[in-house]
Amino acid sequence: MDILFGSIVSGVLIGMVLALVALGLTIIFGVMDIVNFAHGEFLMIGMYTGLLTAQATGMDPLFCLPVAAAVGFVLGVLCYGGFVKYLLRGPMIAQLLGTFGLMLVLRNLALLFFGSEDRALHHGLLVGKSFDIGMGIILSATKLATAVLSILSFGAVWLLMNRTKIGKALTATALNRQGARYMGIPTERMNMLAWGIGGATVTIAGALIVNFWSVTPYVGLIFTMIAFTVVALGGFGSVPGAFFAGLVVGLIMEIPGFWDFFQLSFAIDWMADVPMISFKYTWIYVAYFVIMLISPRGLFGWKQ
Amino acid sequence: MEAIRNALDFSDFPKTDLGVALAVLVFLFCFPFFPHSAFAMATMIQFFIFSLYGMGWNTIGGYGGQVDLGKAQYVGIGAYTTMVCLLRWDIPFWVSMPIGAGLSICWSFIIGYPLFKLKGHYFAIATIATSLVLKDLFEVWKFVGAARGLGILPYKYHPPDFWRLIFKEDVYYYYIIFAFFIVGLLYMNWFRKSRLGYQLRSIKDNEEVARSLGVNVHWAKIKTYAIATAFVSVVGSFHAVYVKNIEPEDTMSLDISILIALMAMLGGAGSLWGPVIGAGVLIPLKSYLKEWLGAAAGLLGIDLIIYGIIIMIISAFEPRGLWGIIEKIRRRRRI
Amino acid sequence: MKSFSKSAKRLGLVLIAVLALPSVLFAAEEIKIGVLFPLTGGAASAGRELRAGAELAADIANNVMPDLNMTMAKNAGIKSLGGAKITLIFKDHEGNPTLGADLAKKLILDDKVHGLMGAYHSAVTKAVSGVAEQYGVPLINDSSTSPDLTRQGYKWFWRATPHDNYFTKDLFEFLKGMTEGKVKGLAAVPKKDITNLAAACEKTEWGSAVAELIEKFAKEYGFELKKSILYGAKATDLSGEVRSLTAVKPDAMLFASYGSDSILMMKTLKDQKAQTRVLWGQNAGFEVPEFVNTLGDTTIGVLTRTVFIPKVGQVKPVAAKVNAMYKAKTGNDLSGASARAFTGLQAWVHVLEKAGSLKPEDIQKAANAIEIAGEELVVPWQGIKFATTGEDIGQNILGSGLIGQYQKRADGKIDLEIVYPFNLATANMIYPFPKF
Repeated sequence: MDILFGSIVSGVLIGMVLALVALGLTIIFGVMDIVNFAHGEFLMIGMYTGLLTAQATGMDPLFCLPVAAAVGFVLGVLCYGGFVKYLLRGPMIAQLLGTFGLMLVLRNLALLFFGSEDRALHHGLLVGKSFDIGMGIILSATKLATAVLSILSFGAVWLLMNRTKIGKALTATALNRQGARYMGIPTERMNMLAWGIGGATVTIAGALIVNFWSVTPYVGLIFTMIAFTVVALGGFGSVPGAFFAGLVVGLIMEIPGFWDFFQLSFAIDWMADVPMISFKYTWIYVAYFVIMLISPRGLFGWKQ
Repeated sequence: MEAIRNALDFSDFPKTDLGVALAVLVFLFCFPFFPHSAFAMATMIQFFIFSLYGMGWNTIGGYGGQVDLGKAQYVGIGAYTTMVCLLRWDIPFWVSMPIGAGLSICWSFIIGYPLFKLKGHYFAIATIATSLVLKDLFEVWKFVGAARGLGILPYKYHPPDFWRLIFKEDVYYYYIIFAFFIVGLLYMNWFRKSRLGYQLRSIKDNEEVARSLGVNVHWAKIKTYAIATAFVSVVGSFHAVYVKNIEPEDTMSLDISILIALMAMLGGAGSLWGPVIGAGVLIPLKSYLKEWLGAAAGLLGIDLIIYGIIIMIISAFEPRGLWGIIEKIRRRRRI
Repeated sequence: MKSFSKSAKRLGLVLIAVLALPSVLFAAEEIKIGVLFPLTGGAASAGRELRAGAELAADIANNVMPDLNMTMAKNAGIKSLGGAKITLIFKDHEGNPTLGADLAKKLILDDKVHGLMGAYHSAVTKAVSGVAEQYGVPLINDSSTSPDLTRQGYKWFWRATPHDNYFTKDLFEFLKGMTEGKVKGLAAVPKKDITNLAAACEKTEWGSAVAELIEKFAKEYGFELKKSILYGAKATDLSGEVRSLTAVKPDAMLFASYGSDSILMMKTLKDQKAQTRVLWGQNAGFEVPEFVNTLGDTTIGVLTRTVFIPKVGQVKPVAAKVNAMYKAKTGNDLSGASARAFTGLQAWVHVLEKAGSLKPEDIQKAANAIEIAGEELVVPWQGIKFATTGEDIGQNILGSGLIGQYQKRADGKIDLEIVYPFNLATANMIYPFPKF
């Protein structure tokens, strides 16, 4: 029973973080039809930012979030203004190629500057602390804090998108670019803003994740895939969709835990022979495939 | 006969192009006679391998406009079939290669049917997903060596073994893959002028129009996907006997898929010479940059940074790749 | 006519001399050994250690160091080759087997090395040994421990380090010893207290081999392997894996992980408050200096198999001296990795000295006949002698392993203490493993 509760709680906590990872992708996709393959690399940069700021200043990594957000915002704006703007004129194939190029450049810049070794935070207010609240639920303090901050970030973005003028302008750009321009909305600036916000959310996610996961220059890709799955499930362009989809994907990642639970509690021998843990990420890919086939709009999608 | 004549007919290209192509072919043919380092030889073989991968990708990705980022799974199927056949039953390369291609095609039909219901980005990501699922499966599948992979024990065979394709000197591999390269080029030349080739281009331009003209869009895509697959799988088989040690991480990693697609897109998707140009530029660039800047100067990853920047510039300013640039220059001259 | 044929002959001789010149000329000056190590990537910290160890050995071989009681320290260079010096050509394989094989080919064909050494990761060594075999270039392996490597029947491959069959057997001997009260400072532990095992090994050649061995020996020694998982190397997150391990409530947890994974594993165990009585790591990531430097007190009580622990210096003066030299060079003590890289190159020096020639066949013959006495070595082995028959061709049959435990010294520093073999034990064992 322990492992069941442990897995569920862990899945939900991780899910909230994954939702935050995907949030930036869904905002960008919502405002303009472009899929950013360098998304995971933004996250990786957020992770390094959090890690290095914390190590350089001796601050707790959790307080480095504003730095990470600023870096992400600037990065997003620069990427859009300096590069993506030009990509949008070309066909989809060029967009894929271009964001791949961006991915390669960012990843290898990180490799050049930070080296290929894994880095992880070993010190901090919450690092290494955890609470055992019984029934097999062990809450690691960092994950808990991360989940809370993820919810806060989501709330902030939701408010921004739905309760402010800027958010309305963004939504208008997303729904009908031509129309928005006629209404006097500077769509070009809105695009840039979308990239800025997208970049900031994902680097925040990165700075949170680095509290408990280690970072290498190659870490981005798996998160890109996870983010795609989350966004596909939640519906491309939907903010609340991303949140709930994140939770679902977090639980999908815990499938090996559920498998163990069934195997141990019902003593099913053949289940023990299946190396389910090796398929930890496989289920995410499978989920993406299945979701896209059944419902290309996802749970809350309004854009196809 | 008609098909062969078509494959050999390059008359729709300008004379200068054919002249350059011939000169390059002659150079490639003579390359092993010049003094060269083993490193240069290995780079050339990589160039052939990737231009063939690129040609395969070009059918579905270039002519068909379906960005496929999961080609590594077929490299894996081809490589593993050859390796398993050789190690378990001593089946020579020339038999296991078609078996591998057959298996790849079967798998491509199985996943191609649902895959092609998706479009654009969704399709691209889904191909990545399938490729990674297959890799994860191979990593636990004991029959194919699981994560440890499979390796050829060199002393068990007597090189040069033309039947099993096991050689000591790279020059044999060079000429064999060179032959593959010529055949691949001729096939592509035939393909672009075939019925399927025209159907694909109409699909790429506008799927609705193609459908209204009576093209079975879904089926045409699946068929082309199978062709692309066979190409990649055959080269994958060659890769297995060439490197002699394969494991999932190595043959089926996403990096391979991306490299294949990038090479063709960079050279010019949807043109005959595109993949060859792409591989011809990128492979030497990559290995020599790595050798000079990466390993020697300790600047890790600088090769891929330069590489990525080139890709970014090309994609932003000339989405049709290097071939597009060449054509643009030519058009300007004519005016 | 006669004079013509004579001059032709002479010309021929000159030609031959010219053609053979590189090998003759260089024979007197330098011996090139290509060394493949993971200088970047997840095992980079081990790579640095390995490199420093090999370089130190080459230094000792190339210079006279009278105060060091080692044969190779007595001469400058290889005496039987006219004092030829050893040059090491390092290549970085990043832990990637295909890259390793490529580099090996390049070393053999372009750099014309006389021999190879490396490559730490068993998967890479496997690929490299295939290349060496194909080209007939001797490869002495220093630190790859998958048993399969010497079971491929290669004639150009020798391995100085004991392999995992020995090490895993040591582990089970040790566990058995615990139940029999043989461990220093520990009364006999009831068998039921340590009978349930759980293992997590990384998913490449080496980890897979270790996982199989653990399964095999567990059965043989009557332990119960409740859970055995392979996890993806270079993982960023191991919480699912750890939960899966702790779910079976294991008495002993056994790991095989490279560099960064082992640190991540320990952190995750701590995060999840995993409880176990014995925590054992299969060398590699568990004994690089980074492991203690980053984890600090968390490591207290962790057991790791290794071949070298600085404490060996107490009984082996040579080891203490080399360790001091190494520490002066790098700031760290010799570890299992660097000690083995050192020993691997030392084996090369002895082989070359015995061969007296740089012809591959002579080196092969010398390697098969070599016998290095235990006193020469820094590691506590009986010596180096490569098997020429039997199951493990090319395997050093005189090697042995140690099991060490991280313990806190009086001055607050954390050190490895020897707990196995029992007669060499330097400290009382900490049991059970402290709670996180």
